[in-house]
Amino acid sequence: MKTILITLIVSFGLAFLLGILLGLFKKIFYIPVDEKIAKVREVLPGANCGACGYPGCDAFAAAVAAGEAPVNGCAAGGPSVAAKVGKVLGVSADSVKNVAVRTCQGGNTIAKDKGSYVGVKSCSAAKTLGINGTKQCSFGCMGFGDCVEACKFDALHMGENGLPIVNYDTCTGCGMCVSACPQGIMVLVPENRKGSIALCSNRNPVKTAVFKQCKSACIKCGKCEKTCRYDAIHVINGIPLVQYDKCTSCKECIEACPTKVLTLVEGLVKVTQ
Amino acid sequence: MSDLIRIFLKSCFVDNVVLIQFLALCPFIGMTGDTGKATGMGIATSFVMVLATAVTYPLYYFVLAPFGLEFLKILIFVLVIASLVQLVEFYLKKAAPALYSSMGVYLALITTNCAILAVTLNTISKQYNFVEAIFYALGAACGFLLAMVLMSGIRQKMKTAEAPDFLKGTPILFIAAGLLSMSFGGFAGLI
Repeated sequence: MKTILITLIVSFGLAFLLGILLGLFKKIFYIPVDEKIAKVREVLPGANCGACGYPGCDAFAAAVAAGEAPVNGCAAGGPSVAAKVGKVLGVSADSVKNVAVRTCQGGNTIAKDKGSYVGVKSCSAAKTLGINGTKQCSFGCMGFGDCVEACKFDALHMGENGLPIVNYDTCTGCGMCVSACPQGIMVLVPENRKGSIALCSNRNPVKTAVFKQCKSACIKCGKCEKTCRYDAIHVINGIPLVQYDKCTSCKECIEACPTKVLTLVEGLVKVTQ
Repeated sequence: MSDLIRIFLKSCFVDNVVLIQFLALCPFIGMTGDTGKATGMGIATSFVMVLATAVTYPLYYFVLAPFGLEFLKILIFVLVIASLVQLVEFYLKKAAPALYSSMGVYLALITTNCAILAVTLNTISKQYNFVEAIFYALGAACGFLLAMVLMSGIRQKMKTAEAPDFLKGTPILFIAAGLLSMSFGGFAGLI
């Protein structure tokens, strides 16, 4: 009995003392926190999971308020938290909405198959078999529709030419198709982006090989680089990449491209609403 | 004096908290992706480790032991360490903002770190005196920091190395951690 009493007294006493100390310290060492950070912190899940790349929710809230982290950076919270954070900061979450774009044009008639594939009808299975895809182009779309299956918003459908088609009215930019595609063909692009984009993922440096594999592939000729008057497009690691702060949507590179790989993002991403 | 150095080296290398005792594996795997973060976490944990030992040691011998409450030590230590970390965080935020920004953000993550609790409990079970206990905690802290920095270096290298698909991610990390642990096993019996 005595032991229990002492246990109670000591543990309660310690807890009481520490509680008072904590309260006191909070008062004494109080520093005004930026209201924005506190408000952002309030709408975050508070799990300190670290999925955003910052050590804990507090650090992420500070980074968002400072404009260093994206409003929709909280992976655990998803779009609902992103919308709340956007509301706090006065940024509409819509303005940062992404949509998925398929960077491959190698449909059934355009890109040749390696052979006839009779395995499991799944892109990731065909990829991991070691044959590196069913098309001769190891970078291209295989057309089994892993992305279609991954899409929870009914925004992806398989077209007749064996390539998935994105419905931009329902695409939320959640990125599920991006992580489902073993070839890394689906990319997220801001909805309001303007400029040219390369719809090819073939990074094979051998021009003749690319010619044989696909009719609509980037052959690394560099014509887009030479045509651009704004120094906005450069072939990096085998694919033309555009600097969107420089691109003016003049369409000169698109007209110069011999294999019609380049196109305008604004023409591609059409939201009817 | 040589005794103290022996305790320090033993707890740093021979009984390394992470690689030999397998404590604090969550920060070891979770926070070592980036060398800067790993070092920050390591320094913060080291600081709290020494501080917690300095506080819990007298608490045990002057409060718990006289009342015959040795069995309460785990509960009380967890309570004290968690509150202590909070107190230090409040203080650092106000008094040393620069230090807080480099270390404080990690403090919230280590309030219930098992390595810290283990070090404080070990000093009691090994029956060290106060100075020995502090040196033991210092050694364990250095060992933790060393393990974090080593692992982050290995991970940096692993980012560019090709691993088989089924090993990518956490599995290859655990294999690397196991190899690192084995190499630390070479210190066994030295001291």
